[in-house]
Amino acid sequence: MNRLVRAELRRLFSTPLWRWGPPVAVLSGGALTAMAVLVGPENFDPPMPGIDTGPGVRLVLSLIGLTVLAPALFGALAVTSEYRHRTITYTFLFAPRRHRVLAAKLAAYALAGTGYGLIVAGSAAIALYGAAAARGTEVGASPGTVAGMLACLTAAMTAYTVIGVGVGALLRDQTAALAVLGAYLYMVEHLLVLIPGVSAVYPFLPGGATAALTQASLMGEASIEVTGSAATLLPPVLGAAVLLAYALLAAAAAVLLPMRRDVT
Amino acid sequence: MPPHHRLEIRGLTKRFGPVEAVTDLTFDVEPGRVTGFLGPNGSGKTTTLRMLLGLVASDAGTARIGGRDYRDLPEPARTVGAVLEASNFHPARTGRDHLRVYADMLGAPAARVAEALALTGIAYAADRRAGGYSTGMRQRLNLATALLGDPPVLILDEPTNGLDPEGIAWLRGLLRDLAAEGRTVLVASHVLSEAERLVDDVVVMHRGRLLTTGPLTELLSDGTGLEQAFLRLTGAAA
Repeated sequence: MNRLVRAELRRLFSTPLWRWGPPVAVLSGGALTAMAVLVGPENFDPPMPGIDTGPGVRLVLSLIGLTVLAPALFGALAVTSEYRHRTITYTFLFAPRRHRVLAAKLAAYALAGTGYGLIVAGSAAIALYGAAAARGTEVGASPGTVAGMLACLTAAMTAYTVIGVGVGALLRDQTAALAVLGAYLYMVEHLLVLIPGVSAVYPFLPGGATAALTQASLMGEASIEVTGSAATLLPPVLGAAVLLAYALLAAAAAVLLPMRRDVT
Repeated sequence: MPPHHRLEIRGLTKRFGPVEAVTDLTFDVEPGRVTGFLGPNGSGKTTTLRMLLGLVASDAGTARIGGRDYRDLPEPARTVGAVLEASNFHPARTGRDHLRVYADMLGAPAARVAEALALTGIAYAADRRAGGYSTGMRQRLNLATALLGDPPVLILDEPTNGLDPEGIAWLRGLLRDLAAEGRTVLVASHVLSEAERLVDDVVVMHRGRLLTTGPLTELLSDGTGLEQAFLRLTGAAA
């Protein structure tokens, strides 16, 4: 393994922050899914297709897409804490070609994000089948379809971790990264979906690309309620490609802008 | 022992907005000697060191290590060890883990981490979190980080800050030994009484410009001591 990537993994696992990862992943995947299945989408307000239907399963699993802020923040903290604790000085002394440091962080956090995504997906699968069995309901999608959606959600968690690394490198400040990621994911994008003209670009926004991975989203359902029409989503593979493009865009911007700045 | 490296600063210039931090600075630092980089706070020493280490981009001039820019060195951290700030540690990471991260970046084995800890006298605290270290322990961990790559060049900015008298004496001995092995040692300091007991050569800066450079003995030839010589020079420059 590349020595810079190994150093980034050691950096990650040598502070207590990573220990939050597994419990947050189980909450985001397992707990959320278990709750949605036990309540039942047919009891949501407005009522939605039940778990014994394909769209119902899709909808329940797509709720996990709402938790992407967690891996994005986790990725952002990887970079901003280097500036906050000024370890960036040593890091750039040991690797003065700064883009290599960022590339190593992207690679290391892609691995960590995949690990996070696997815990999310694994706990969601257990919760889906466990809670459905507890309610005595059939799961209305084949195991292959469920596995495919969970694989896509794992990819989404990886992509958002990498996007977080890019945003963290771009902003360098912990509070700013938290504010920007939170405001965008939970406010700006939701408002955009409700504007009829702008909703055409929704499939290409990070949230739309995430929804494409499960081919469903709560926002899409809400949009139907409000505007009477849902934005068309990209196919899952294209959705994943769009997310990856955002991650690379943020990383490229970071290499071109803040990574060149003086470290004083 | 790795090859010797001379530091060559030529016409180095840096402005921060309206402030001329460093202006047309030219001097050499020779291997096998301890060179004191002296001047009051704000005289441009730190900015010069950061330009030499590729952390700050110069507006004009060059700063070379063994004939190369820092970023063009094939193994930068095996060529130069640097201590620039009092604390560059994540408070929740142990001293040992901090060193292991950078040893990984170097491709150095865990045994080298143990050697650096022993050399700087903080092996006993290696498995404690750096956030709980005293200022003196942090300086030693900084030095351990700089020495990880066994570099032929050492660049230290105010390394005695926070060290007790015993620590200062220890550091003096360590730097003398490293220079005696043929390494290039550049120590920036504003504490002249300490510098006088440590250095062979001096580079004196004032308000971003070079005041004088040469062997300490030449500067002290009138027998009044470094502090008087320094005041005479800065007085003449004012």
